Amino acid sequence: MEDFEGKKILVIQTHGVDTPKRTYSPLYYAVASAAMEIETTVWFTMNGTNQLRKGVAEMIKLDPSSNVTLASMLQMCLDNEVKLAVCQQSLALWNMTPDDLIDGVEIFGATTIIDLALNYDHVMYF
Amino acid sequence: MGYSKVNECVIATDLYYSVADNTWARVNEDGTVYIGMTDIAQSLAGPILHAKAKPVGKVRKKGRPIATVESGKWVGPIKTPLSGEIVETNKALEEDVQLLNKSPYNKGWVVKLQPSDLENELKEMVTGDEAVEQYKEKIDRDGIQACAHIEGTEDYE
Repeated sequence: MEDFEGKKILVIQTHGVDTPKRTYSPLYYAVASAAMEIETTVWFTMNGTNQLRKGVAEMIKLDPSSNVTLASMLQMCLDNEVKLAVCQQSLALWNMTPDDLIDGVEIFGATTIIDLALNYDHVMYF
Repeated sequence: MGYSKVNECVIATDLYYSVADNTWARVNEDGTVYIGMTDIAQSLAGPILHAKAKPVGKVRKKGRPIATVESGKWVGPIKTPLSGEIVETNKALEEDVQLLNKSPYNKGWVVKLQPSDLENELKEMVTGDEAVEQYKEKIDRDGIQACAHIEGTEDYE
C-alpha cells in the first residue's frame, strides 16, 4: 500500500437523519482514511448537523438485523481519531446550542472551514 | 501448535497477544516476528473484503497501524503490538484476503517485522494460559458473542 501518512482529508457531510442512507458512507470513508493514518476531519453542515444532537443518532439504523447505528458510526470515528466538527451557523438552523451536541464535536466557523479546505490535501463532499 | 477455545474463539497458546488490540505475534528463530489478527478480531469484523498492509521498509512504533482492514460492516487499523521495521507483507492475502478469516494464526499473517525492542515489549504481551484467561475475561466483559467462522476455516482441534 502506498504510504499516505501525513496527508489530510476533509469530509463535508451535508446529509442528516432525514436521509439515513446518506449518513453512513461518509463516516465509513472517514474511518478508513484515519486507519490509513491520514489526518481526517468530518465537517457537518446544513442537514448533516442534525445527526449530532444528543440521542438522535442512536435511532438511525440502516440494517434492522445489525446492532450498528449511526451513533456507532460516529463513535467509530472518534475511536479512530477522526475529528468531528460542526458549522457554528448551522446549529441555529436546527435550533441547537452547543449543549445539544454529542461529546467530542468541535464547533468551527465558516472561515475555519475555508482555511481547512485550502490546507487539506483533498476534500470529499457529500 | 496448541489451541484453546473460549466461546468458540480459538486462541493459539504458543503466540503472544495484545489482548486490547486483538493482535498476535509469533517469534521466529531468526528474530523476526509475524504479526496478525486474532480469531476474535476476524469474527467481530466478519468476512474481510479488503486488506492493505503498510509497505516493506516502514518503521512502526508499537500501537501504530501496520495494515487497514475492511469488511462489509467494519473498517479499521491493525495495530502492531511490537515496534520495528516491516520486512515482508503477506502476498497470499492479495490472492485470498479471507485467509484473515479462515486461517488467522497461520496463512493469514499480515506482516513480518524486524523488531527493535523485542525483549522489553514482549513482556507487555501475554501468552499461553495467561492469554486464555485474559481472553475469557475480555469476552465476558465486552459481551462478545461466540466466534463465527466462514466456510473453509482451518481446523483448530
